[in-house]
Amino acid sequence: MSSKSAVPPQTGQSEVRIAVPASNYDYERLAAIYNQARVDYIVPMPMNAKRMAEYVHNYDVNLECSVVSINQAGEETGIGMFGLRDDGQKRRGWITRLGVIPERRGYKVGQFITEKLLENGKARLCDLVQLEVIVGNDPAHTLFRKLGFEDVRELLVIRRPPGPPEVHPAFDQAAVSQMSEEEIPFYLKLRAPGESWIEETPSLLNAGSMRGLRVEMGSERGWVLFQRTPFQLTHFVLSPDVSEEISTALLYHVHKEYPMQDTKVENLAANSPAWPAFQRMGYMEVFRRTEMFLHFR
Amino acid sequence: MSLIIVIEDNAQNARMAAKLLGVAGHKVIVAEDGENGLTTVFENKPDLVLIDLGLPDIDGQTVIALIRQQADLRTVPIVAFTAWPEETAYQMANAYGCDGVITKPINTRTFAQQVGDFLQPQQEP
Repeated sequence: MSSKSAVPPQTGQSEVRIAVPASNYDYERLAAIYNQARVDYIVPMPMNAKRMAEYVHNYDVNLECSVVSINQAGEETGIGMFGLRDDGQKRRGWITRLGVIPERRGYKVGQFITEKLLENGKARLCDLVQLEVIVGNDPAHTLFRKLGFEDVRELLVIRRPPGPPEVHPAFDQAAVSQMSEEEIPFYLKLRAPGESWIEETPSLLNAGSMRGLRVEMGSERGWVLFQRTPFQLTHFVLSPDVSEEISTALLYHVHKEYPMQDTKVENLAANSPAWPAFQRMGYMEVFRRTEMFLHFR
Repeated sequence: MSLIIVIEDNAQNARMAAKLLGVAGHKVIVAEDGENGLTTVFENKPDLVLIDLGLPDIDGQTVIALIRQQADLRTVPIVAFTAWPEETAYQMANAYGCDGVITKPINTRTFAQQVGDFLQPQQEP
């Protein structure tokens, strides 16, 4: 969905809309349709085929449940993807990568795609469907509310440019130990519940390349997990119920160890107690998303 | 003649930028993603880099950071070329060591001059 309103079709104009499973397309084509649909988005986040494939894998996107909409001329008009997860207690769906190609807007294609995705979620017996919409994308937010979604919370996308942290003698005196790869799943079980879809434990395990550090400072201990990719640090998990000081010390030691890595953290809850620690370590807000839920039962 | 590398995944935008800068007397190389952009910048040592912040493989900010980490590219002017909201674009550009921001859509009459203003004086065509 774009934040910019398209010129609506004239009264009486209509367009045949057909939903085709995204599994009929290869990643190259899916990425191309998605990029066309998001070209004028508030914060365009284009993808190539490799990144699209990783996205589908990491976030359990079900391509059978995801759709590409086409018009009567056989032209693709938009895309919507659908993640599916079942933790044994709840089956959940996730709407993502939704967009309508600018020159084909104005025929309620966005609503058509969203409704198809919701139908697919119902057919898969989802208890709820969730999504995130960028704050400021009012047309999309209005559509989702119209379809029954409710705002849950605001999430922050934050970044920290590369660079060593400012020297902090107290943090340098802390005892720091690296986690082994085998220890990561154990610590993931200790994390606080309620993460956004892309930060949930299955996402992190799917993504792989997770690292971890433990810090002991005075009488307090904490741990941090993060994903290290060739160019970025991302997917941070901080131990719950620790002080801002220990959270800051954890981030300090991560950035001290990887001073040349750029860092991006997505979907940190705006009211997260860890946000002040991130700010102290030089993180800045890039944009916000609103998380929305639609309960089917 | 100055060498400008345009890192932009949108072919239409890249073509337009290359055309306008070419007419203004600059030599232009276009790279369509972050990885090619990095290789092209490292190999050609340009006089200026114009970069989209949203790229399909590596984030534009990360690409800027990687360029700035090269000792011989620390002072090359880097200009963010973006449709992001202005405030966010300037904040990101400053934080990552850009010299300036040009927001999309571009003004075709002033674009080449806007870019030229970021070139060091002796490199003007």
